[in-house]
Amino acid sequence: MSKPTVGIFGLTGCAGDQLVILNCEDRLMDIVALLDVRDFLMASSENDTACQLDIALVEGAVTTRRDAARLLAIRQRSKALVALGTCAVWGGVAALDRGQDRARLLDEVYGEGHPDYDSIPAQALHEVVPVDLNITGCPIEKEEFVAAIAALLNGDVPLAVEYAVCTECRMRENNCLLTERGELCCGPLTVAGCGARCPELRIACVGCRGPVDDANSASLVKVFEARGFAPQDIAARLRTFAPQGVTS
Amino acid sequence: MKILKLPKEKLDLFASVVQQFGELHAPVEQDGRYVFKRLTRWSDARLEYDRTILPPKKYFLPPKETLFRYRPGEGFVPHTDGLDQRIILFGVHACDVYAINILDRVFAGKYQDPYFQARRKNIAIIGIDCTPDKQCFCRSMRADFVDHGFDLFFYDTGNYYQALVGTALGDDMVLATGNLFEPVDAADIEAYKQRSIDKRRAFQLDVEIRDLPEIFEMEYQSEMWEELGARCLSCGSCSMVCPTCYCYDVNDDVELGSRAGKRTRSWDSCLFASHALVGSGENFRGTREARIKFRFYHKQRGFVAEYGRPSCVGCGRCTSACPVHIDVVEVIDRLRRVQDVASR
Ligand code: SF4
Ligand code: SF4
Ligand code: SF4
Ligand code: SF4
Repeated sequence: MSKPTVGIFGLTGCAGDQLVILNCEDRLMDIVALLDVRDFLMASSENDTACQLDIALVEGAVTTRRDAARLLAIRQRSKALVALGTCAVWGGVAALDRGQDRARLLDEVYGEGHPDYDSIPAQALHEVVPVDLNITGCPIEKEEFVAAIAALLNGDVPLAVEYAVCTECRMRENNCLLTERGELCCGPLTVAGCGARCPELRIACVGCRGPVDDANSASLVKVFEARGFAPQDIAARLRTFAPQGVTS
Repeated sequence: MKILKLPKEKLDLFASVVQQFGELHAPVEQDGRYVFKRLTRWSDARLEYDRTILPPKKYFLPPKETLFRYRPGEGFVPHTDGLDQRIILFGVHACDVYAINILDRVFAGKYQDPYFQARRKNIAIIGIDCTPDKQCFCRSMRADFVDHGFDLFFYDTGNYYQALVGTALGDDMVLATGNLFEPVDAADIEAYKQRSIDKRRAFQLDVEIRDLPEIFEMEYQSEMWEELGARCLSCGSCSMVCPTCYCYDVNDDVELGSRAGKRTRSWDSCLFASHALVGSGENFRGTREARIKFRFYHKQRGFVAEYGRPSCVGCGRCTSACPVHIDVVEVIDRLRRVQDVASR
């Protein structure tokens, strides 16, 4: 069987997810041996920018018309499109203010009378083109990435994690930052897969992986309010990684 | 059953002798709570602990374990690493021993689980009596006393630990200490009985479980389930910390570039949206309301039908772990319409 052709792309993001791929040190040679990586600007200066791709891995949110056009072009040349990282899956940090007036935000950042920048409210990939698979995380987890590639190579869809960070946190027998210390921990709303890395280090979960399926944010917000947190602080925390409408 | 006593000042000596039977694990403090852990020093053991974050279940059914490795054309090789490790769990409370006995019915009854059984055989249990706090309702659940499932069980009677010898291994432990243990006399028996009365009086929670399965049956449409469903976060904490939740999920971790891999299992929960999702896409418990209701029905009704008693032992862990304060005792009382739940 010929190796699947692969392209790895970044829209508006920090390139962290692409870096995780390059950081798969001990697995990298296996990955390169199994995939025919044709287009990966971050890792190579020689790319085939027009070939058909079996798999396109796309990081970052769509925040400009140029991003949207690139994404459409990638979609058109790919059989399967994978959203890589929280920005691509949910909109991420770039989408945290998307309910606000764009023109005013541009004025605030660049001063009045700035040139006409290409800037649109941030969107997740699935809001622009059909997406076949999501690998969330800020950045993605190496193990989840390698497992997803292993599954795709066998023609399988990798299993989606359908439980919250609390589950992994409890499995590791951490003290609970929310129930014991009254901290603003987003673990109950956030999709697991990180091994509860932050609570393990006694740092409240900020929800960087995006919401778990069926997240009950209305109920958790009540708990936070009862514990004395101001509504705007709760909203700010919940909207950092996933836009309004998704979490609350 | 043999009953002996150990002078309290000899406990340290007993602990050092008993290590010849396995690696010593006991509750140690972790940021104001307790966890069962391998002891590096006996002085780290906190035998006066209230409850551990995770129950001893984690030793018999670990949160995640590998069952076997498989390779197409070659078959599979069971993963047995660590199964023969000899461990002594020192300081297990009665409700937690009871819970392990309940797990025995599930993993060593009609369905035999060799992984669970191997660990059960190699992990010794030295129980210790405790004083109930405001979250304990093991007495209502008839799990405040155990007569089997441990090797030794210690009761604090003042100057002594009165020791129940539960197994031949427990007896070997006693014998290995030479003459540390002494026979009990009439005064010890009185002290034990007094201790038993004091403990009974210390319970602050009480819940009636007589005819509870029938009440659950009748209250299937209760509005309370909807309200609990709106509150529950499906976070799974209650199942993770429960000493008798035994649901697990089985997955294959496939090797990169082959069809070989390892089959694993990890703790699961009926609160997860995917717990009753089947291949066709149908979900038998798609709503949170249906799932939280199922948790209670499985513990307090389904398990009774199958095994003759509720699987809940009244340890209070789920209540303290729940971020939205879903409280088993309160749920049962509300179903029974006990009016003064708050004044309890
Ligand atoms: S610390 Fe946070 S993630 Fe961990 S159990 Fe508590 S709420 Fe959940
Ligand atoms: S249901 Fe709750 S109280 Fe009952 S055994 Fe499980 S954790 Fe303990
Ligand atoms: S069905 Fe729910 S309550 Fe019953 S053992 Fe499984 S997780 Fe626990
Ligand atoms: S701990 Fe509470 S909120 Fe979390 S799943 Fe259990 S009942 Fe629901």
